[in-house]
Amino acid sequence: MTMPRPPRILERLIAWALPRAEDEFILGDLAEEYVEDRQRGSRARSILRYLWTGFAIAWHLRETRGSRAIQPRRGDGIVAAFIRDLHAAGKTLRHARGFTVTVVLITAVGIGATTAIFSVANPILFSPLPYAAPEHLVMVWERASDGSNNRTGYATFADLSREGRTLQSSAAIAGWQPTIATGDGDAERLRGQSVSWQFFEMLGLGPAIGRGFVQADDQPGEPRVAVLTHGLYQQRFGSDSSLVGKTILLDGRPYGVIGILPAGFDDVFQPGTQIYRTLSYAASQPWACRTCRHLRMVARIHPDVAVDAAATELNMLSTQLVAEYPTEYPAAGINLVPVHEEVTRQARPALMAVLIAAGFLLLIACANITNLQIARSVRRGNEFAVRVALGAGIPQLVRQLLAEGSLLALSGGVAGVLLAAGAITMLKPYLPEDLPRLGAVGLDISALIFSVGVTFAVGLLVGLAPLATARRAQTQAFRAGRSATRRSDVGRGAIVVGEVALALMLLTGTGLLGRSLLTLLAVDPGFEAERLLTLEIQSTGPNYGEDAAVWSYHDRVRDAVTAIPGVVAAAVSTQLPLGGNFDGNGIMAEDKPLDNPELAPGGQRYAVSPEYLSTMQIPILEGRNFTADDGPGNKSEQASDAGGGKAGVTILSASLARRIWGEESALGKRIRVGGPSRPWLTVVGIAGDVRHTGLDQTELHGFYVPERQWYWADNQVVLVVRTATRPLSLAPQIVQAVRDIDPSQPVMHLRPGDQLIATSTVQRRLALMLFAAFGIVAALLSAAGVYGVLAGAVAERRREIGIRTALGATPRAIVQWVLRQGMAMAVGGLVLGLVGSILLTRYLRAMLFGIEPTDPATLGGTALVVALVALGACLIPAWRALRVDPVTVLKAD
Amino acid sequence: MSEKSSTLGELEVLVLLAVLRCEGNAYGITVRDEIRHRANRPLALGTIYKTLMRLEVKGYLDSSTSAPEPKRGGRRRKLYRATGRGRTVLEHSMKTLTRMAQGLKVVPEFS
Repeated sequence: MTMPRPPRILERLIAWALPRAEDEFILGDLAEEYVEDRQRGSRARSILRYLWTGFAIAWHLRETRGSRAIQPRRGDGIVAAFIRDLHAAGKTLRHARGFTVTVVLITAVGIGATTAIFSVANPILFSPLPYAAPEHLVMVWERASDGSNNRTGYATFADLSREGRTLQSSAAIAGWQPTIATGDGDAERLRGQSVSWQFFEMLGLGPAIGRGFVQADDQPGEPRVAVLTHGLYQQRFGSDSSLVGKTILLDGRPYGVIGILPAGFDDVFQPGTQIYRTLSYAASQPWACRTCRHLRMVARIHPDVAVDAAATELNMLSTQLVAEYPTEYPAAGINLVPVHEEVTRQARPALMAVLIAAGFLLLIACANITNLQIARSVRRGNEFAVRVALGAGIPQLVRQLLAEGSLLALSGGVAGVLLAAGAITMLKPYLPEDLPRLGAVGLDISALIFSVGVTFAVGLLVGLAPLATARRAQTQAFRAGRSATRRSDVGRGAIVVGEVALALMLLTGTGLLGRSLLTLLAVDPGFEAERLLTLEIQSTGPNYGEDAAVWSYHDRVRDAVTAIPGVVAAAVSTQLPLGGNFDGNGIMAEDKPLDNPELAPGGQRYAVSPEYLSTMQIPILEGRNFTADDGPGNKSEQASDAGGGKAGVTILSASLARRIWGEESALGKRIRVGGPSRPWLTVVGIAGDVRHTGLDQTELHGFYVPERQWYWADNQVVLVVRTATRPLSLAPQIVQAVRDIDPSQPVMHLRPGDQLIATSTVQRRLALMLFAAFGIVAALLSAAGVYGVLAGAVAERRREIGIRTALGATPRAIVQWVLRQGMAMAVGGLVLGLVGSILLTRYLRAMLFGIEPTDPATLGGTALVVALVALGACLIPAWRALRVDPVTVLKAD
Repeated sequence: MSEKSSTLGELEVLVLLAVLRCEGNAYGITVRDEIRHRANRPLALGTIYKTLMRLEVKGYLDSSTSAPEPKRGGRRRKLYRATGRGRTVLEHSMKTLTRMAQGLKVVPEFS
C-alpha cells in the first residue's frame, strides 16, 4: 500500500504562503499529520484539516515575525533588520534579472549625468571662493557712460583705496607674462600677475614658504621680487626649498624669490596664474594715469558693512573725483560686484542650463524606473494579495519594497558614480580654460554626497511606487484584479506623459542651441579662417631694450617664415580678431572736437606689419592698404609740426568710420589716439569689419596702424601665416624658423585659424553637446515608457483583442485602438512639454544667438520629432496586437 | 528582562518539557506526540508551532536543520533544542509552581 500524501496543488498553495526558509520543515510535518489522519478518517476531513493547520501556521509565523520586527531580538538592531531585508531583496532581484539590469542601467545614466554635471558646476558656481570670508570680496569697476564695467587707472585706484572708509583693504591687478629661460635654451612664457602688495593679505592667505609682499616691495625700480605658486615651484624648480632667497631671471631681469604659495591656492581672477610680482607703480609714472584704465581693482569690505553701503560711499567718492577731473572720466559712478558673481558670470548661464537639463534626465530616469516597478508590481499582484491575506501588513510590504528599491538604487548609484567619474574625465578637456576653479573640478565629496542623496531619493521613490497597487491588493485580496490593472494603467500613462513632456523640453533646448550655433557659425568673422596659422611670438629681455630691435626681430621672423615653401604670406599684429585680447582706445577726430575726450568712441588697436590685412584677407573697402613706406612715425605732435619724419597713417574699420563721420568719407581725415600729446594720424583706408571679441559680440570698431608708427614697440605679438596647404602641416617648420632667429624667445599658442572660430563657440558647443546627449537619452527613455505601457496593455488585453477580432474587428481597427492609446499619451506629453518649453527656454536666452527662445519652427520641429519617436514606440505593440490569434486566446479560457 | 522574573505560560511549559524529553529529535510532530501521550493533551499542530516559534523568538529555544531522511525525496527537519536561558526559566517556573502547591492536599507531591 502506498503512503497517502496531500494533494500536490494544496501543498503548493501552502508553500506559497510560507516563508521560503521554513516551508520544507513545515510541509514535512503537515504531510506526516495528513498520513496519520488518513489512517483514521476520511480524505475530505484530512484535507480540510491539512489546509486549516497549514494556513494557521503561516499566519502564526507572520504574526511572530511581525512582532519580531517591532521588538527586535537582543543585539539585533534596526540596521541588522534592514540588512536582512536587503539580503531578501537581493534574492528576489536575482530572479528578475532583466528587470534588475534595466533599472540599474537607467538609474546609472540618470545619476551619472547628474553627478558629473554637478561635480563640474559645484566648485564653479556654488562653492564659496577659497579665500577667507569671501563674501566680503568685491570687484570695484569704474562705470562707463553706458553703465558697463570699466577697468581703472592707478590714480583712481590709489584715491579710492585711500579715501574709502568702508573698504578694509584693496588691491590692483594687472596681467604679466614674463619669459623664463630654460636650461636647454628654449624659453617659456609664464602666466603671471602684477598685484599691489596687499593682494594676498586681502585674500587672507599667506605663502607656505617664505614671506608675502610688503609695502616696501611695491616701489618702482629694482630690486624686484616674486612669489611663485606651488605648481611652478614643483614643475620648474623641483620643489627645491633653497629657492626662496635666490634670484631668478624673468625677461632677462633679476627677480628675488621671496615666497611659495600653498599647494591649494587658486587664483580666480586669472585662473592658472603661476607667478606674482608687485605692481610697483608710482603716481608720477605715465602709465599710472586716470585714463590708463588697465587695472582691475579688488577690495575687501569691512565685515560689518553691507555691499550697498560700500557702493554708496564709493559712488560719492567717484562723484568728487569726476568734479575734480572732468575730462578724465566718461561718467561718474562705481559698480561694485561681489567677486563670486563676477568670476562665475560667464559660465553661469551654460552651467545652470546644463545642470537643469541633467536634472530633467534624472527625473525621466526616475519616471521610467517607477513605471517599470509598477508594471512589475502588477505582475506580482497575486503575490501581494496572498501575503496581505495571510496577515502581512502594509508596513511589511513597504519594508520589502523599500529594501528592493534601495538595493536597486544603490547598485545604480555605484554604477552611476563610476559613469560620472568617466564622464568628468571626458568632459574636462572640453571645459573653457578660463573657467575659475577648474582645478577643483572632480568627483568631489559634495558631489558624492549629492549623488548618494539622489540615490536614496530614487530608492524611496522607486520603493514606494508599487505601494498603490499593494494597497489595493489588501482590499481586493483574491479577487481578480482587472480594475486594479486598469487604474495602474492610468497612473503609468500619466508618468509617460510627464516623460514625453520632459524629453520634449530637453530636445527643444537642444534645437535652440543647435540653431544658435549654426547661425553663429554663419556669422562672417571678417577674415578668412581657412588655411591660416597663428602663433604668439615674443621679444623681451636685454637684447630688445630698443624699439627698433623689436621691429627688426618681427621683420626677420616674417621674412624667414615667408621663405618656407607652402607659406603664402606672413605678418604680425598686436592682437587677433575673436581673441578677446582687449586693447580698446578712445579715438578723437580732428574735426569733431569733444569737451570730454573720455566720451570719444573706442576702437580696438591693431599695430601691424604692412602685410597684415592682405594676409588675413580683410578687404580694403576704400583708400589704400599700408605699404613698406609707412615707416617710423612721429612720437609727438611737436615733431610732426616740425616736419621731421613721415606723417602717421591709419586704416579704420568701416563701422568706426561710420560711427564718427556717418555717410561722409573718412579718407584724408585725421584722428588722435591716446591723449592730446599724441600725433594726428591720417586715415588712408577703410577696411572691412572684423569681430574683435567673439562671433556673438557686436563690437566691430577697430583701427590699424603700422607697428613702426605706434609710440612703443609691442614685445608680444601674433604672427599670422597664410598657407597654401593644411596649416598645421607647416607648423614644425614655422616654429623652427622662429626659434632659429632667437631661441631665447618662446613660441606660444600655435593655432590654426578655424580654431579661433571654434574657441569663440566652445561654451555653446559644450552646452549643445550635453543637451543633445541628454535629449537623445531622454527621447529613448520616454519612447521606452510609451512602449512599456502599450506592450503591457496589449499583453493584458489579449483576451479582449481576441474577442474583438472574433467578433469581426478589422486589423485596421485593432491598430487604431493601440495607436490611439499611444498617441493619447504622446499628445498629452507634447502639449505639456510645449507649455514647459515656452516657460523654461527663456532661461537659455543668454546662450541663444539670432533666435528667440520661443522660436515656433524649433518648437514645432522638435514636437514633430518627439511625436514620430512616440509613434515608432507604438508600432511593435500594434504589430503584437495584430498577431493575437482569437482561437488560441479563447481556448485558453 | 531577567529569566528570574519571567514565568512561562502553561503551553510553553508543556512544549519546553516535551522538547527536553525528545532531546535530539524534537520537531513539530514529535513534540505534539509527546504532549499527547504523556499529558494526554491532543494539541493541534498549529498550536504547537505557534508555541515553538514564540519560545524561539524569546530565545528559550534554538533550532538547527537536520540531515535529509535517508530515502527518496527525504526531507530535512527543523530540530529544536532548549537553550541555557530556556532551562533557567523553566526551572524558575517549576519552582514557583512547587512553592505555590506545597502543603495543599489537592496536589500530589512532586518528586
